Amino acid sequence: MAVALYEIGIAITALAVAGSLVHRFGLSVIPAYIVIGVLVGPNYPTTLGDLSPVALGAVGDVSLQLVSNSDLVAGLAELGIVLLLFFLGLEFSVSQLLGDGRRIATIGVIDLALNFGIGLALGLAFGFGPVETLFLAGIVYISSSAVITKSIIDEGWVANPESGPILGTLVFEDIFIAIYLAVLSAVALGGGSLADAAVSVGTAFAFLGVLLAAAWYGTGVVERLFSTGSDELFLLRVLGVTTLVAGVALVMGVSEAVAAFFVGTAFSGTDHTERIEHVIAPSRDFFAAVFFFAIGLTTDVTLLADVALLLVVAVVVTTASKLLSGTASGRVYDLDPRRSLRVGLGMVPRGEFSLILATLAATAGGNAGTLGEVVPAFAVGYVLVMSIVGTLLIQNASAIERVRKLAVSPEAGS
Amino acid sequence: MTVYETEVPGVGKKFELEVGGGERLVVLIHHDGKREVYRRSDPDADSEKLFSVAGKQARQLGSIIEGAFFQPVETDEVQVPLGDAFIEWLDLHADSELAGKTLGETDLRQETGISVLAVQRGDHTHPNPDSAFELAGGDVLVTLGTREEQNSLEAMLGGSDTGDATDSDEGQDE
Repeated sequence: MAVALYEIGIAITALAVAGSLVHRFGLSVIPAYIVIGVLVGPNYPTTLGDLSPVALGAVGDVSLQLVSNSDLVAGLAELGIVLLLFFLGLEFSVSQLLGDGRRIATIGVIDLALNFGIGLALGLAFGFGPVETLFLAGIVYISSSAVITKSIIDEGWVANPESGPILGTLVFEDIFIAIYLAVLSAVALGGGSLADAAVSVGTAFAFLGVLLAAAWYGTGVVERLFSTGSDELFLLRVLGVTTLVAGVALVMGVSEAVAAFFVGTAFSGTDHTERIEHVIAPSRDFFAAVFFFAIGLTTDVTLLADVALLLVVAVVVTTASKLLSGTASGRVYDLDPRRSLRVGLGMVPRGEFSLILATLAATAGGNAGTLGEVVPAFAVGYVLVMSIVGTLLIQNASAIERVRKLAVSPEAGS
Repeated sequence: MTVYETEVPGVGKKFELEVGGGERLVVLIHHDGKREVYRRSDPDADSEKLFSVAGKQARQLGSIIEGAFFQPVETDEVQVPLGDAFIEWLDLHADSELAGKTLGETDLRQETGISVLAVQRGDHTHPNPDSAFELAGGDVLVTLGTREEQNSLEAMLGGSDTGDATDSDEGQDE
């Protein structure tokens, strides 16, 4: 127990240091959390000497294997996934979807067709099997709500018309990811044959159907059950029910993340939403940070060498495809070319959801083979690059806009 | 006036107010109570952030704007009609040419046509001051005169923005 506490202490301190460092540069904290996990985790680099191009002598032997990939960390990380999806469900805006459904559907389909399609093409081109290809497509398709929301607030775009299609696309992606995760986890965890897969998909949807019905009709009950004056009891009740439902789902072979998503939607219709944002959000931030850290712990960066080509191609192609789909979405909202380009830039960051898919792939593949090792390693490398590239693109949008202007009308710029 | 309301998932709610001429004020209310206010001068412009306040301050600011604490009154209307003349309360700033002089030396009645009815100094009011009364920076002069006469006196009182009726509200705390 002493070792466990010591390791958790190192983990949280490392997260705090890494987070503070990148916060200064206005960058997303997600890549920092992963990198620090890689550094202090059991995989390469294992000593200080591994990090330095010159020999450090005795100092080079200092071990960097400070935190082992324990069940405790894995459990905390799992709570991170559950809470991330719970909040996604909680903040899922049904009113926005109903009010602006046609346009959201249009831009959602553009986004899906282009980016998921590119992902499928990449998988096939690099000789992946069908399940691996499905994972790959999901990983490159889904943008990061966390990184994007933070960036568009920092840049003030949230007050501009371009926030409409950006947030609208995220809403569509949220629904898609819920369905996609449910199917994918049923298929991936369900075993080999088509019949097995059909049974597990059936189970998943039966379970989620019950959950959805409870979420839909149970608003009044939820409202009453969670009315308490004490924030402490409120926190325990919400965490309790969310984790329990997610856990039951996992035992039944259904995606715990999707279950948590539906629990979140059950709360979104009640008056508890604001209070959850106050009381539960700090817990989510903590567990999500541990989740990103745990991703780093389990990542063997030497595997990235095997997927280097795929990584480079994927980064270039999927940046372009998000720019394209985003710009087209801007046009659907009748935005001018400048704002449409911003929608494209805004959609580039990938983050937490790609990593949740990576975790699922690792579990389904038994941490070995293409599905269990290569896909997760790719996802981690991909998210590291895309979360940083995406943030930088948003921060330097005005420079990029000038370049676009020059490209469109060369004589106007001279 | 049209107000547009949008949800911003993970953040809170956004309200846009049309304030005329294509200009919009954008208020972003975060779940944690923080309010950010942006201004977008025309549809093509970028929103610039004006300020951001925490929940409690925001509500106070809101009630101030609403007028719950203080209803502004135009300076020109703070007057007691006495024919053309009216009574005005005017601050005498330390850098005024009048500070340090007696009322007799200033010869205000001849110079400006103004009658000084009283001088407020701190908590104390000196009614009907005589010609030997010495003026000092920080005094509030209670004066009787026409608009024109009041204005010519104001020009002699020093300070950057003389006679602004809302001056005394500055720095008012909760």
